[in-house]
Amino acid sequence: MCDVKAKLVAWLDRELTPEEASTVEHHVEECRECRHWVATYERVSQTFDAYCDAMLATKAPCRARWVPVLAGALIAATAVCLAFLRTRVVHPAVVEPPAAIASAPVLEPPVVEPILHKPMIRRYHPAQQIREIATQEQPMDAAIQIAIPAEAMFPPGAVPNGINFIADLRIAPDGSVKQVRLRQ
Amino acid sequence: MSDDSVPLALPLPRLAAGSAEVTALYRELRKPLLRYVVCLGLTADEAQDVVQDAFLSLQRHLASGGDQENIRGWVFRVAHNLARNRQTSYHRRFGETLDGGRDFPAEDATPEQVMLESEKLRRFAAAIQLLTKSERECLLLRAGGLRYREIGEVLGIAISTVGETVERAMKKLAEKCNV
Repeated sequence: MCDVKAKLVAWLDRELTPEEASTVEHHVEECRECRHWVATYERVSQTFDAYCDAMLATKAPCRARWVPVLAGALIAATAVCLAFLRTRVVHPAVVEPPAAIASAPVLEPPVVEPILHKPMIRRYHPAQQIREIATQEQPMDAAIQIAIPAEAMFPPGAVPNGINFIADLRIAPDGSVKQVRLRQ
Repeated sequence: MSDDSVPLALPLPRLAAGSAEVTALYRELRKPLLRYVVCLGLTADEAQDVVQDAFLSLQRHLASGGDQENIRGWVFRVAHNLARNRQTSYHRRFGETLDGGRDFPAEDATPEQVMLESEKLRRFAAAIQLLTKSERECLLLRAGGLRYREIGEVLGIAISTVGETVERAMKKLAEKCNV
């Protein structure tokens, strides 16, 4: 075993006098075992630093680790509250006169009761608003008109020239032809 | 040594309480000090308190015209004593938190690398548990960038003893965990 081996860590830490450091340096260049120990000590030092950093990183953000969790919980709670409020506002807002009253036989002069409800503000979600507009504007059945010249349907001379027939096609939502009506 | 280790034997100008040099010293030593006291077994909050108290003591020390030789060693010594006082007051055993069952998260690494690194550090933590208190303290202060002379002043032991203790501790760690 080399005597120098006991000074290797101090040599790595630059704690030796210049003379001692020079002696150890020359020895390490020649001694394979000491070179091995130098490399090992360097790895131990690096691992020790990594361990200290890991300890600091593991302990230091104790509170910070809860921040994303708390933030997520807060966001979720806010989303639930907003959804709850929206449903509470939208549902009672639709006030329609009952159809039974309108169609029932009237024995007394009908008295139109003013609506005592305060007009409630409907809070639309933009997506909901777009959906409703689309629903209102789009007819249930699409009507297509096709002009058909009479001579295409009848033999020549059977009908006067210049007469056209119009075919009205109603298309069901599934794309099939629901109704065909031919008119002049 | 770590990247954030303190430049050794840096000639310090004459410090004044509240001066820019003290601020620079705080920036330079804050992380090594935090790391040191956390590894001594304090919680993050306690470590923050200890480091702040140490620098408050430094301010008072400088304001009262105290000795400025080896000011880094002085700050480490104050932090070390504050940490020990807290451990005593909480009836903690030194190094109790240097446990081997902790997960060490690593960033920018594949899951395999994370697992291997965690396993390596876990073995290393177990090996550190086998060191004596003095050996552990010497290695922690060495990792904080202190020279043997400064370590000796912090722990109240001779420089030669520091050298022997560090050498012995390094050899133990090298043998216990095949790094």
